[in-house]
Amino acid sequence: MSRKLHEKEIKTGVTRRTFLKGCAMAAAALGLSDEVVPRLVEAATSPQRPPVVWLHFQECTGCTEALLRASHPDIGSLILDIISLDYHETVMAAAGHQAEEILSNTIEKYKGKFICVAEGAVPTRDGGIYCKIGGRTALEIIKDVAPKAAAVIAIGTCASFGGVQAASPNPTGAKGIGDVLGKSVINIPGCPPNPIAFLGTVLHLLTFKRPPEIDALGRPLFAYGRRNHDQCERRAHFDEGRFVEQFGDENHKKGYCLYKVGCKGPVTFANCPAVRFNDVSTWPVGAGHGCIGCTEPDFWDTCSPFYEHLPGVKMPGSGIVTDADTLGKKILGITAVAAGIHAAVGIGKNLLKGGQNKSK
Amino acid sequence: MYEKKLAWGVLFRLFHWAFALSIVFLVVTGLYIHYPWSNSVIEGSRSFPMAEMRYFHFVAGFVFVGAVFVRLYLWFFGNRQEKLWDCAPITARNIKNLFSTIAYYLYFTDKHEPRVGHNALAGTIYIVTILLGFFQMVSGFWMLYPESPFWQGWGITIFGSQAQARFIHYLLMWYFMIFAFIHLYILIWNDVKDPEGLISSIFTGRKFFHKNAVK
Repeated sequence: MSRKLHEKEIKTGVTRRTFLKGCAMAAAALGLSDEVVPRLVEAATSPQRPPVVWLHFQECTGCTEALLRASHPDIGSLILDIISLDYHETVMAAAGHQAEEILSNTIEKYKGKFICVAEGAVPTRDGGIYCKIGGRTALEIIKDVAPKAAAVIAIGTCASFGGVQAASPNPTGAKGIGDVLGKSVINIPGCPPNPIAFLGTVLHLLTFKRPPEIDALGRPLFAYGRRNHDQCERRAHFDEGRFVEQFGDENHKKGYCLYKVGCKGPVTFANCPAVRFNDVSTWPVGAGHGCIGCTEPDFWDTCSPFYEHLPGVKMPGSGIVTDADTLGKKILGITAVAAGIHAAVGIGKNLLKGGQNKSK
Repeated sequence: MYEKKLAWGVLFRLFHWAFALSIVFLVVTGLYIHYPWSNSVIEGSRSFPMAEMRYFHFVAGFVFVGAVFVRLYLWFFGNRQEKLWDCAPITARNIKNLFSTIAYYLYFTDKHEPRVGHNALAGTIYIVTILLGFFQMVSGFWMLYPESPFWQGWGITIFGSQAQARFIHYLLMWYFMIFAFIHLYILIWNDVKDPEGLISSIFTGRKFFHKNAVK
């Protein structure tokens, strides 16, 4: 049974039933009682709801794709329906000067009222020339738009923490939106983030007129309050010591814990095991691949190699990268040898002195 | 003629053994948690090696943290030898002792200042070790209580992310292992070179000195 995606995409709007289902799902993700659902619905359908300006910078559009690809209930269209999206380079009909005009009109007309969603990191090196839209650098655009917005949401790891372009050596000086603005924004990290995390945050903003509770990294606690490892369906295998030794082995086929093949679930804060992706009831670990820690800051540097436990240790000044175990064993070995030599020198000196004493 | 002098109080000796034994447990269980070499394979075997190793690691971790805090207390309220300024390289006497101890350890000289407490080199390394114990504590508690805003706040401030905290936690484990090795070697070396009952002093609290050698 193949779903006709192209037919689905051209349908406009969502049915009331689907809409309510989506709101109820977001309420559940936020940990709210179902009594709040009518308030969410009211806020989301209010004609006075704030428009959304969606900015794209250094990114792959994967976050937008993830939102649009969400299926049953059609969260993609739900999001497009709930938020009045005035400017979104990927899905808007306007182009060129017309599009830029919409942007400047919206931010002037709804000054202090609209929601700014930023997708992608902002390059800062050499005056930010590595990302330009409509003749302006990403740096100029975000500094123009963000201060006029009621709330700024950074969607995706790039917008939150810089992502892949901020990975060492970060040639373009890419930074997350919060770092560029020098103030805390709501971060929805992930590569891509779960649409439910975004939807929940937007609905919370619309309904309660304030952002959801966030952690020290600006991530909403309802979605990023726990580690993947602590909610993982393979956790029992971890506690009972059943591990995949290598991909494709018998233990892998049986669905054992992926800890030994480099799963970063134990250090990654996200709700992937609980909410899963695209409503097809799966997520990376469910499909047999370890978590790569994509919701964490600098995960390209601190969580890679993805199939190893820990990142390599860079020896300062030498360019040599070695793993922590090899390094530790080497230092311990060198220490033992040094102690042996030290002891031998002491004994040797003593023997010499003993000989002198005897001769006296 | 030798005379017996009290070097370490009871609390200090308790601190030492709590610290030492907790490090042994932490390293053994920590290495297992880092690389679980066993594989239960049989499902429903009712064995929980990882859960149990983690449990012992946490218990030992709490003992370790308790020991660190006891040492911190003794830095300021312990007896003369246990106080911070008796061994920290912050006084002229200790800075001089730091260099003379290095020279003594490198066989440049046979003379060394008899001291009831730590020599300044040992004192400096112990202070560094206790401070590194704090990094182990913050990274460890953050991994144990990932949902606590307090530990997350400190963890992110110091390490940036939990992946980095776990990495540093592991590297510092090697520090503690290597520290323990060097500590034992130098103890034995000192006891052979100039017997003053250094090793037994951590059990009895007393050291032996030539009469009137130390004030």
